[in-house]
Formats: sequence, structure tokens, C-alpha cells
Amino acid sequence: MDAIQLLLLSMLLFGVGAVASLLFNGFSRVARVTAGLTGAMASGVGLMAAAQAVTGAPPPLEISDPLPFGHFTLQMDGLSTLMVGMISLLGFAVSVYSISYLGQYPNRNLGVLGFFTNLFIAMMLLVVTVANAFYFLIFWEMMTLASYFLVIFESEKKESIQAGYLYMLVAHAGTALIMLSFFAFYLSAGSFDFAAFRQTQLSPTVRNLAFLLAFFGFGAKAGMTPLHIWMPGAYSAAPSHASALMSSVMKKTAIYGILRVCVDFLGASALWWGMLVLFFGALSAVLGVFYALAERDLKRILAYSSVENVGIILLGIGVGMIGLATDQPAVALLGFLAALYHALNHSFFKGLLFLGAGSVDYRLHTRNLNEMGRLGRLMPWTALTFLIGALAVSAIPPFNGFVSEWFTYQAFFAGSGGQDFIVRVSLPLCAVLLSLAGALAVMVAVKMYGGAFAGPARSERAGRASESPGAMLTGMLILAIGCLSLGLGAPLIAPYLANVVTGTLNVPALTVADGLWVYPGETAQAVLSTPLIAILLLGLLAVPVSLVAIYGGHKAGGRVVDDPWACGYGYSSTMSVSASSFDQPIAVTFSGIYRLRSMTQKPLDAIAAGSGRVRQMIAQAEPILESVIRQPTTRVVDYLGQHIQALQMGDIRMYCLYIIFTLIVLLIVIFR
Amino acid sequence: MISASMFLVGLLQALVILAVAPLFSGFSRVMRAKMHNRRGPSIFQNYRDLAKLMKRQEVVSGQAGWVFRITPYVTLVSMLLVATIIPIVTAQSPFGWAGDLILVVYLVALARFFFSLSGLDAGSSFGGIGAKRELLVAVLIEPVMLLVLFVMALLAGSTNLGVISAKVASGQIPYYTSVWLGMLAFAFASFVEMGKLPFDLAEAEQELQEGPLAEFSGRSLALMKWGIYLKQVVLVSLFLAVFLPFGNVAQSSGLPLLLSALLAVVVFLLKVTVFYFIVSVLENAMARVRFLKASAVTWTALGAAILSFVFYLANV
Repeated sequence: MDAIQLLLLSMLLFGVGAVASLLFNGFSRVARVTAGLTGAMASGVGLMAAAQAVTGAPPPLEISDPLPFGHFTLQMDGLSTLMVGMISLLGFAVSVYSISYLGQYPNRNLGVLGFFTNLFIAMMLLVVTVANAFYFLIFWEMMTLASYFLVIFESEKKESIQAGYLYMLVAHAGTALIMLSFFAFYLSAGSFDFAAFRQTQLSPTVRNLAFLLAFFGFGAKAGMTPLHIWMPGAYSAAPSHASALMSSVMKKTAIYGILRVCVDFLGASALWWGMLVLFFGALSAVLGVFYALAERDLKRILAYSSVENVGIILLGIGVGMIGLATDQPAVALLGFLAALYHALNHSFFKGLLFLGAGSVDYRLHTRNLNEMGRLGRLMPWTALTFLIGALAVSAIPPFNGFVSEWFTYQAFFAGSGGQDFIVRVSLPLCAVLLSLAGALAVMVAVKMYGGAFAGPARSERAGRASESPGAMLTGMLILAIGCLSLGLGAPLIAPYLANVVTGTLNVPALTVADGLWVYPGETAQAVLSTPLIAILLLGLLAVPVSLVAIYGGHKAGGRVVDDPWACGYGYSSTMSVSASSFDQPIAVTFSGIYRLRSMTQKPLDAIAAGSGRVRQMIAQAEPILESVIRQPTTRVVDYLGQHIQALQMGDIRMYCLYIIFTLIVLLIVIFR
Repeated sequence: MISASMFLVGLLQALVILAVAPLFSGFSRVMRAKMHNRRGPSIFQNYRDLAKLMKRQEVVSGQAGWVFRITPYVTLVSMLLVATIIPIVTAQSPFGWAGDLILVVYLVALARFFFSLSGLDAGSSFGGIGAKRELLVAVLIEPVMLLVLFVMALLAGSTNLGVISAKVASGQIPYYTSVWLGMLAFAFASFVEMGKLPFDLAEAEQELQEGPLAEFSGRSLALMKWGIYLKQVVLVSLFLAVFLPFGNVAQSSGLPLLLSALLAVVVFLLKVTVFYFIVSVLENAMARVRFLKASAVTWTALGAAILSFVFYLANV
């Protein structure tokens, strides 16, 4: 069987699994086992398809169909194969995990949940392989709908419904933009085939328009700032295995979309395109991690951290596009390589962290970090895998997050030597922002691990917790091993990804690895060897160990376990630092950034509240007089009242300024 | 890419720095005493302290998990690895085949990650407060360090520390205005990272009873302290390697190898002593500041770093 046939088989298995779990809906245990096993099996076949397509792209599969504008084509070029592999691997780990994880919902429609989960994974696989815009949109929409039902799974909770509603709103706004972008292509190409899109010549205005529409349309799904507003709610409302899938792979379908349309079809020819992507990347990276730090709900932290990581991926794509526009192929390759590498890494460590959060939720039924603690001793395997994820997300060497950020830095470095002044200014500044985001990400990771797993138990339930069942640990272990191998195996992964970039995005080839080393094109610029770093770190362990041995080994002195020091008073676990006070230094030092959020939050809330009000009005069919006259009047009065209040800020200097300003205006009026 | 002689040089220099690190901290203690008009301890007191601690009984917090146990080892190992990468007596980076300046910055983050996590893990309030301060320092200082190093790397055309060091030493990168400004910003950043007054935020002795260190005792405390001494000398060496790399083996090529190596070691130790001297004078001449006010001072360092970048763009 060739890769495409394997992919079809995987679709078939997903379909069978979805229908079967729906049939077993009444028997919750059977339903979750069926859905999990078929999902894992189908993902396994998907993985085989990807493995086979790595060696050589299979011929595309074309099916003629009755629709005049539809032309169903499946293809697996380098980029699609990478995405299929990523989605299948995550799908496998998550499906295995879900078998036990869903045991905590014995009285729910697990068959329906299994149906949508399998459908969701299948649709993601189709989105990244279909080569026709019409079908792409259909699968894209089905993917969104399936994930919507995962978000509102706990539908009796008000937050779930609200989060789902906001998600639908943003997702559909995004889809509308993508649709318009594709329509712009269609008008010129006369066909919905991606092959035709690639060849057609658009006028400069239409090109720019198509780029902007596609970038913001896919950006909404990827969750870049400021279109990320739906993510914290949706990710924390969905069951953890679903949030893991949404964050780690659904976002990547949007990254795939950006690369496909903006780079593959449009060629990224204008410099300002890359600059725009770079700008939104930097914005998302920094703001995302700042907001992550302010949360104490574990899954909301992870959601904001996903905003940060999408920002880092966009930084890579931005540099790549700048490289293409300024005719520096090495810069382009490094940028895209960094972006793809980080996308791959993020899907592993963020999937792992979401599963870890789910594992804690499974035992403690809370996501609040202030009610956890001590789980490092009570749930050792969850803690260990979570720590690996936390180290990877903070880009600590030699874990995988470090390698992709290293490539991002190298892309910045290579691009900084270019001719355009604006590029020479912005790339080093982006490197600084990336390092700021990195330092904050360490803080976020320490806060997550420290709050959940370290220190004393901060709630009674946390003190009684025990390790999660084997299926869940298996899912997490697979991803943890993935994180380690993507880091240590950098010399194997980097050239593969460079090949993907070369083959799919029309960038000339560049050697990026040799033996145990990776390097950005030439070894003179820099080299990095994660396997050697790991060996050295382990080898240098001999120094402290022999120091201890010289001074009498571990027997010397002995060890006593006692309460922590509390200035002579009796120790109580409430003396430990809670997660919610952890970010106080940052909140004080960078208060401006948090003010910015509360400022932007207001209009967003107003939009959400406004659309909610519209629905209410239709439902209640209020008297017209009431809704047309009284409500707007009160709203206007309210609005004016609130905003006039802003003038009254209590600062005597401002009042003086007002007086002077009024005087000047009056003088101008009189003497005009 | 790996040559046996450079491997040996890297390993040796890391061990030598580890061995002399308590001496420099001892020097710092002596300086402090002299400025207070006290007689002060012997310059070797830190060695005696470490030896004593190694044999003492260890009291471990009942809340702590294995993260707390491995932290002393992680701190020492990551700093030793940094010490092998920085060019000290040679013009090239001895373990340059492992990584570049970005790796160095992130290895420091590895040590910090475990250091602050151990503060939380022990469950004491001092450790937790110290942990968050330690991470605040990183947020304020890491961008400064990275920008300065990035500008130097752009001047050298490589992010390899050895290449930068060699080009500065040989005058291929003259002391432009941007280099001077970068040196200023980096010296300041190193000073803050060394945890000297008024920036001893995480291990504030008077306030937090040494923060995350509060719960360490016996052997673990000895290893932690040694790790911190090592980190201080490593940061100084990084500064010297990038900005004042004179006196290495390659420069005294007329002499026999062994003699020039010895000369390079002596010059290096002298440079570190001078740096410690200046740091001690500054440290003891300054008052403590509230830790939330620290950012007001660190913005200046960021300002200097950005100015250095601007001057680089303007080619002066």
C-alpha cells in the first residue's frame, strides 16, 4: 500500500471508530475504550502513512466528483507529510490516554465525545492533505465544529457554553477571511485546485489582499495576539485530552495554512509581509507569556503559553519570509526551519503538559494551582513527565524547545547582516524580545511545576492524591520520550525539516547538520550539539559526586527529615508561597503591560456582551419601544457617565491642565 | 571537530575555576571586613567552611521532593559546562563544539530553573520568596546580556564565543563606542547576576535568610555554595572573555607553550581579582534597595545595551 492508501485506511478506521463509539453511547465504559482504541489504531496507520511518505512523496489521489467546482485531491508533499506525522503521533498518545482519562465521567455521553474526538483527528488529517480549496474549507469547518462540541462537553457549566460561543465566533470570523482569500485566488485561477492557485498571477493589490486575509484568518485559529481571546476559555473548558489536541495540533493546521498560502502560493515576495508576521509574532510571544504568568488556573496558563509559542513560530516564519523577499535563501531556510521545528516541538511539549494537567485534574478535580502541591511525591510519574515538558517549554538545553529557539536566534543573526536598514534594526530587537519571553517562560514553568508538584499539599484532596492509571501514564510517557528525542536527535531532525522546507516552500537547500552537530548553513557562524551537551552534563556529574565521595560519601553526617525553618515557630503548610502570589514581582515591575490588557479587554467584553444581548433580544421579543428607545438611552447615558468619569482622575496637576486647556480654547474662540 | 588538547584545556580550566572560586569569594569577604574596619576572616575561610559543611549532618525539609535533592548537582554541573565553553587561557572556546553564547545564556537559565524550583520545593516561605525574586532578576537581566552578546556576535560574524574573543583580542573588532557601551551594560549585568549588594535579592541574608538556600544544609549546602561561588567566577570570566580577552596563549606566541600558558593563567587570575576588587568596593559602598525598585536601576543597563546596538547600527 502506498502512503495515500494508508491514509485512506486510517480515515476508514477513524470513521468506524466514530460510528462504533456512537452506537455504544449507552455503555460509557465500552464507548470510551472503543473510541480510544480505534483512535489509537487509526492514528497508528496514519503514522505509517507518514513514515512511508517521508521516503518519497506518493502520487496524488484524484477523485472526480459531481460538483462542477469541486475536484477532490489528496496529496502528501513534504509539508503535508510532516503534519500528518505530527497529528497522528499526538492522536495516538492522546487516544491511549483518553481510555482511562474519560473514566472520570461515568454518567456522560462518552460515545458522543468519542465520535467527535475521532472525527476531529480525521478532519485535521484531511485538512493538511487535501489539495483543493473547496474541500479544504469543508474539512476546516468540520474540524472547527467537532472541536466546538469537545469544548462544550461539560455543557451544564456556564463557562463552557460561553467559551464555546466565543470560540465559534472567532473561528467563523477567521473562516470567513480564509474563504475570501481563496475566492480572490479563484477569480484569477478559475479553479479551486491548489495547483492552479500556485500558478496563477495575481495583481499586486489582490496579492496583498489575499495575503492579509489568509494571515489574519489563519492567525485567528492559531491564536496570535490579539485574536487569542477565545483560547484560555476554550482550552480550560474542554476535557484535557481535547485541549491537548486543540493546542498541540489544531493550531498547527493554522500554521500549515499560513505557510501554504502565504509562502507556497504567494511566494512571500513583499518585505512588509514578513515584517508584519514578525511584528505579530513578537507581540504574541511577549504578551502571551506575560498573561500566562498572571493566571493560576493550570490550563489557562497553558493556553496563554500556547499564544507565546505561536508567537515564536510566527517569528520564525516572519524571518523566513523576509529572507525570501530580500533574496537571502539561507535566512529564509533557517527561518522556516526554526518555525517548523518549533511547531513540532510545541506539539509534543504542550500536548504533554496538557495531559499532565489532565492527570492532576483526574485525581484532584481542580485546575487551581493554589489547591495542589506535594504531587511530586504522590504522583511521581506525572511529575517527572511534567517536569520534562516544563523544561522543554522554557527552552532549557538539551531539551527540544531549546533547539528550535536556537535556530530562531540563528535565523535572526543571519538576517541581521542584510542590507535593509529596517531588517537590521528589527531582527536583533526580536532576539531580545525572544530572550525576554524565554526568561518569563522559565518563570511560568517554575510556577506551574512549583505550584502543582512541589512543596506541601495546599488542599486536603491534594494530600490524598495517588498516581494516575497506566493508560494515561503511557500517553504522557510517549510524548515525554518524544520531547527528549526531538532535542537529542536534533542532528537527524534538522536536515529532515530542512528538506521539507526546500521541497515545499521553494527555498534552495542548505546543509544544517553533520554527524553530531547542527549548524546554520556554515559552521563558522555557530555549531550546537545537543547529544554532546547531554553527555557532558552527565559526565561532569562526576565532579560533584567525587567531591562528596572525598568528604566521606553519603554516609558522612547522615540525613534527618524535619519541618522547614519557620523562625522557631511551628511550621504550617500555609507558610509556603502560593502560586497566586508568585507573579507579584512581575505584576509590579511590568504593571503597564497588564494595564494594556485590561484596556483591550473592555471592548472585547463589550463585543461579546453585545452579541449576547442581540441573541437575548431575539429570544425574548421585547417590546420594541423598550429596546429601541429606553435601552440605548440608558446605555448612552451609562457610557457617557463612565467615560466622563475618566477625566476626573484626582490629580491636581491634570485639573490645572484642564483649566489651561479650556482657557486656551476660549481665547482662540474669542480672538479668532 | 573535537581536538584532544582543547578537550583537556576545557576540562582543566573548569576544574581550576572550581578550585579557585571559594578563594575569590574569600577575597570578597576580606575586602568587606577591611572596609568595615574589621580584621575579618582568613582568605581561605571559605574552604574550611565548605569542608566542614561536607561532613555535617543534613536536615532536609519533609515537604521536599527529588527536585530539591538534585538541585545542588544540577547547579554545579551546568556551571561547570559553561566554564568549559568560555575561552579563558586560549583564544578559542575549548568546548566550542558543544555550543555558542546562546547555549551559555540558557545553561545559566538551567541552573536558575532548579535553584528557584528548589526554593518552592522545600515549602518554606523564605525559599519561595527568594525563588520568585531570582526569576525576576533573570527577566530584567537576561535580555540585556543577550542583546550585548548579540551585538558583539554581529561584529564578529559568529555567535561562537571563541571567535568573538579572538577578534577582540587581535584588534579585528576595535573598541568602538558600541563595544564600550556594551561592556558597561554587560559589566553591570554580571554584577547583578553575581547577586552582590544591592542586588542580592534572592539570597538576601538579612531579609530572607539566604532565600532558597535557607533549607539546604550539610553536604547539599556545601555543594550549593560552591556552585554559587563558581557561577560568580564564571560570569566574570564570560565578561573578560568577550570584552577584555588580552593575555591569552595565542598572544604570547614567542614563549614556549608551557610558559605562555602559565602566563595566561596568571593574567586571567589577576583580571578576575581586579574585577572582584571593584565589585567589592561597589558592593560595600552601596545601600540595600527594596527589591521592587531594582528594575528602576536595571532599565539603565537595558538602555546602555540598546544604545550600544544603536551605535553598532551607526557604525561607530
